[in-house]
Amino acid sequence: MAKLINLKINGKPVSVPEGTMVVDAAKKAGIDIPVFCYHPKMEPVAMCRQCLVEIGRPVIDRATGQPVLEENGQPKLQFGPKLETSCSTPVSEGMVVITDSEKARAGQREILELLLTSHPLDCPVCDKGGECPLQNLTMKFGPKESRFLYDEKHHAEKHFPLGDLIFLDRERCIQCARCVRFQSDIAGEPVLGFSQRGRHTEIVTYSDPGFDSVFSGNTTDICPVGALTTADFRFGARPWELKSSASICSQCPVGCNVTFNVRREVKAGGGYVIKRAMPRQNEQVNEIWMCDKGRFAGYQYTEADSRLKLDSPELDQALSQAAVKLAESASQAVFLAGGRLSNEDFYTLKQFATRLGAKAYLYTRHGGGEYTTRYGLAPGSNLGNLGKGDTVLVVASDLYHEAPLWYLRLKAAAKRGATLIVANARATKLDEFATFVIRYSYGDEVETVKSLSSKEKVGEAIKNTHHLVIFYGADGLGLTGTTALAQACADLFTSLPVSQTAPKANNGLIGVWSTPNQQGALEMGFAPCADLAAELKDKTVYILAADPAGDDPTLAEALKGAKAVIAQDILETETTRLANIVLPAAAYTEREGTFTSGERRVQRFYPAVPARPGTKADFALIAELAKRCGIDLEGRSALLVMNQIVANEPAFSGITYAKLAEVTEQWPIIGRSDLFYGGTGYENKQGLGVTLSLTPGVSPQGRDKQATLLSPSPAAKEMRGEGLRPKEDELLAVPITKLYDNGTTVAPAKLLAAHIARFDGVFVNPATAKKYGLENGSQARVSLNGVTYSASVLLDESISTGVVLIPRSFGIPLAEPAFVLLTALEPAQEA
Amino acid sequence: MIVELARGLWTTLRALIFEKKVTVQYPEEKKPVKQRFRGRHYLDRYENGLEKCIGCSLCAAACPSDAIFVESAENTDEARYSPGERYASTYEINMLRCIYCGFCEDACPTEAIKMGDNYELSFTDRRQAIYTKEMLLVPVPPGGKPTPQVTPPGVYTRSVPEMKDPVD
Amino acid sequence: MAYLLLRHRDIPGLENIEIYKQNGGFRALEKAVTTLQPKQVVEEVKASGLRGRGGAGFPTGVKWSFLPDTIWPHYVVCNADESEPGTFKDREIMEGNPYQFLEGVALACYAVGAAEGYIYIRGEYYPIAKQIEACIAEMEKQGYLGDSLFGTQTSIRLKVHLGAGAYICGEETALLESLEGKRGQPRLRPPFPAVVGLYGKPTVINNVETLTNLPFIVEHGAAAFREFGTEKSPGVKIFSLSGNVERPGNYELPLGTPFRELIFTHGGGIPNGRKLRAIMPAGASSSIIRVDDSNFDRVMDTPMDYESVPSLGSMLGSASVIVIDDAHPIDWVIKKTIDFFQHESCGKCTPCRDGNYWMKHLTTRIHAGKAIAADVKLLDNVAAQVYGKCLCALGDFSTMAVRSAIERFPEDFEKVTGNS
Repeated sequence: MAKLINLKINGKPVSVPEGTMVVDAAKKAGIDIPVFCYHPKMEPVAMCRQCLVEIGRPVIDRATGQPVLEENGQPKLQFGPKLETSCSTPVSEGMVVITDSEKARAGQREILELLLTSHPLDCPVCDKGGECPLQNLTMKFGPKESRFLYDEKHHAEKHFPLGDLIFLDRERCIQCARCVRFQSDIAGEPVLGFSQRGRHTEIVTYSDPGFDSVFSGNTTDICPVGALTTADFRFGARPWELKSSASICSQCPVGCNVTFNVRREVKAGGGYVIKRAMPRQNEQVNEIWMCDKGRFAGYQYTEADSRLKLDSPELDQALSQAAVKLAESASQAVFLAGGRLSNEDFYTLKQFATRLGAKAYLYTRHGGGEYTTRYGLAPGSNLGNLGKGDTVLVVASDLYHEAPLWYLRLKAAAKRGATLIVANARATKLDEFATFVIRYSYGDEVETVKSLSSKEKVGEAIKNTHHLVIFYGADGLGLTGTTALAQACADLFTSLPVSQTAPKANNGLIGVWSTPNQQGALEMGFAPCADLAAELKDKTVYILAADPAGDDPTLAEALKGAKAVIAQDILETETTRLANIVLPAAAYTEREGTFTSGERRVQRFYPAVPARPGTKADFALIAELAKRCGIDLEGRSALLVMNQIVANEPAFSGITYAKLAEVTEQWPIIGRSDLFYGGTGYENKQGLGVTLSLTPGVSPQGRDKQATLLSPSPAAKEMRGEGLRPKEDELLAVPITKLYDNGTTVAPAKLLAAHIARFDGVFVNPATAKKYGLENGSQARVSLNGVTYSASVLLDESISTGVVLIPRSFGIPLAEPAFVLLTALEPAQEA
Repeated sequence: MIVELARGLWTTLRALIFEKKVTVQYPEEKKPVKQRFRGRHYLDRYENGLEKCIGCSLCAAACPSDAIFVESAENTDEARYSPGERYASTYEINMLRCIYCGFCEDACPTEAIKMGDNYELSFTDRRQAIYTKEMLLVPVPPGGKPTPQVTPPGVYTRSVPEMKDPVD
Repeated sequence: MAYLLLRHRDIPGLENIEIYKQNGGFRALEKAVTTLQPKQVVEEVKASGLRGRGGAGFPTGVKWSFLPDTIWPHYVVCNADESEPGTFKDREIMEGNPYQFLEGVALACYAVGAAEGYIYIRGEYYPIAKQIEACIAEMEKQGYLGDSLFGTQTSIRLKVHLGAGAYICGEETALLESLEGKRGQPRLRPPFPAVVGLYGKPTVINNVETLTNLPFIVEHGAAAFREFGTEKSPGVKIFSLSGNVERPGNYELPLGTPFRELIFTHGGGIPNGRKLRAIMPAGASSSIIRVDDSNFDRVMDTPMDYESVPSLGSMLGSASVIVIDDAHPIDWVIKKTIDFFQHESCGKCTPCRDGNYWMKHLTTRIHAGKAIAADVKLLDNVAAQVYGKCLCALGDFSTMAVRSAIERFPEDFEKVTGNS
């Protein structure tokens, strides 16, 4: 704990840790000092000069080192001749700060006036109007009228697309550089900068395409004026017309806390629509940030045209038919659920499967869940607390693409001094910030993890660490590979002294899943199926929130060979198209529920908009089906289901909806009237969530899962140690995940179409491409297991030769690493 | 008592014979309204036909009875409704909710919404009481073009015109 | 009196290394490197009372002693970004007497233990940069720079870096940013460059003229140096005289020389029989000293040193004395200075960026006679608004001329606004 410093701000005594800036100390004491360039998440630069205050320091007698006292016994104070910027002045003992004297107020007012003189004052058409720090501070601290000639005002470009997602209004910009600094210091993607000087200073983007960052949306939140606006919300609504609703982002396992803003629209026939997604503060999860995928694809799919719906007699009929089929099949029924379902849905499904005697699988190709539930993060964990003396290992995962917020948090941890080890077969964005980068050949993942301890420096770092967090992904791995990798990672934990790894905070194994609630399903005992195609044959298959037919033609074939297919989803997919019975589910934005994040944090989401007519929440549909099969399950409300989960699932013990909704004070303060301080992100009033407990009293070596798996997990095959070596002319194709994929929940985001298209193809090294007579963008044929797919070729120098990376969800159903043939598609043949 | 009665009748007679009549034969005959009368709203246009409304929703924010609903969209030079970047794609006033207070007029930064002289509103159905943008917009003035217009690039960059202090 | 700095005026061909050597060149460097400890050099410079010639007048030896011994490497950066309007002394030194200057840089490097020194030259001095580079190459060839100097372990290397034409890069932290390849904008202080400077390491930044003084001090001792100038401002100074004088140019005079001697004895007085009206003693950054019949003698007899000039409500700065006669209206003078500052404002902090923008509009309007009295008041107001709130000194400097002009030459502004 840092030393506490005592000072007085406006006569109010304040004690803050050493090193705190005056502006933060004042904020903590409830005193507002206006700021523009200062942001509590970034280093001070003191360039807007808005936070001027009077600062007095006690006069120290040089001879004695003691403060000089006035006649009345009070320490004599010396005030500087000039006002000082409170954002860049650290507190010191005995300091006296005056923020509201005539002199200080005049200074603040004068700076504000100068900022306003170059600002267009087009608040009526500005998207920030109503939640604008400049507007708010002008009301509170600003001058009442202008003293300058309007005709002499500086004018600049008003409509400049920095990228396709962010627009810049150069006239509104007050050159605070928050966006520039966010991109370089926090996001690690320095694509913005200043050009020109003086009054002509303007924001420019250095990247091509413009503003090429996956965190670009955050700059609009922290922009203290309306200079940066998002393309999706441009002129969409006025902030005061919006209702806000707390939710959790459903695009990846991080579980970013978000707020959906909704309002009624004529376009929706007077119904509620979601107008935008904004980050909601949770310092333990996403702080005050979110990635562009969450912002621009997070909810858009729930409003897609391809939403399924049935009117109520139709739904009734569908449910009855489905119930008959399921009841008939009983033990011959197979349930297949995607990780998009909530905890409540999974629990209800599990109960249904158990009582019916059916098998239930989690639909995923990312295994190892039995290890993340045993070695996962313990309660009290916060990646934001990792620092000096701690070690983080990221293996076989491109976090920047798979879970951008984890990338952000680990980058920050490395900056704080944590040892970051990134092991991957190819270069990833996180390498730049890693302490150690380990390169292996595809197929050597397990060997690499096993050999870590014996490596000199890396081994030291792991052995001597206070805390160890391991992220493992499925970069280039299928189900068997990931399972083996998870086991190897778990072994790494067990090989360490118990004192280091016994269930304690900031320690554990995290799976970088592709869905928001895979961890929740795993915690309830769901597991993936090793040979799904075989398993489906002649069965009655009940598929929820998954699209196996769309992902893999062999699965589509298998489904055709099933006795009956019942598909329950929110959107029309290949699977729903070939299903015998379709049950339309309500989107998660339309109902209540909880997700369990990869960090094992259970978080609540609330209904943002009413459920569409003809849809029902998944758990309610499941319960209804069960009821018609003669099985009585709770389906009335998510809350009642959660009560049962808590009673029956040991990991969830102690959790209640009320507890999930609890909040504690967070720093920095954002939301409320403090827009100028932290940006337009939302204060968290709806819950920080609770981390699941690890089975107590059992050491990691002896920790065994209490709940039995619903179905046996695939045996982890021992993998060859020398990497997967292709035969001549063959290439090793490995599946990878890119941020903007073509999945069910991302593809409907119209704004991201161009971004998604950038990953539509197969990635190879330029040398490989040359060998096969291919160049960037040219069409090629990929022969996989005797089937030929055409794809465009995308070059990436960081890939080793002999390997072709195939992004998941773009049509080539590569479930496991496999050898493929790559041939150029002659233009003549194409025509 | 007779005297009082006569005095009273005299007042009546005097009004009947000597004073000007205040009764008008409405609806055949209509009294002109006062200059500051607040009748049914209308949405104004500039002389060139462009709409003054920029879809800022400040009228809706000012409205005490929540009678106004605005949705906005972005102008392009190919399809321009108003100067500047923003225009109202939807503009509705529920005349049954409206209390004719004129706050919308005060709030308007471009003097687009104005209270007119029309007080003769009647509906047979609640839906009819919702006046849409088409109903509220004044006709295109002579010499002006209807919206959306095709305009040369770079001309209409400013949406909030320089306003003079109100006179009158 | 023999020149100390502009020695090439006494010795033709001094820009040739052989001639420099024949005239005692590199003796100071050799003496320091072979016989003195770096600490001793610092102490000698401290004792000499040499003050920074770039404008601020901070004691050089004291500045050097701020470098922490715990953080290495140390760097020496020479500020040759001579950009103040009216200043042209460094140019003459570098052109005429480059080896004495470079010897000074090397001495500074030795004193603070820096193995590398950077000379940041303004972009417009491209030919000088080429010349200095050639001089450095020559010195390396002859063993006055490079490794194992004079047979010792000492190694000193110098590099020339060209600026890109920004006034702000004469501000030391902006200079460092520019040197590091970033935008030339001032840094937030503290930390000061003496602790966190170039590439985050302790750095000494000195002006060309300051460094050129070093060989004399090291060779002849502090006492010899103190024979020139005053008690608190010892040594000689090059005064760049410009404006309405008969003979503008660089004059090397002891500090404390009165204005009269510079302007009338050396400068030859005001041409065309005009009267002296105003003096800007520190280029565009200075408050304007009003000279009229009531105070003519007092101003003329004021010694030009760091202590005395402030008594006239101005400062000595880099001693670029701009003389203004009574043919030039002061509103024109401030328009020129504000045009300059508005053009050169880096745009990092609000008051300088926006304040100068409005001051430019106001001075332009006032000079064009399209202003009213309230505009002059507003101008004064804006200047006051900018003063004391900026990130670096440029912002404050930009207001000096404006505020002093409005205060001291009210008639010029009455005249301008009167005819509107």
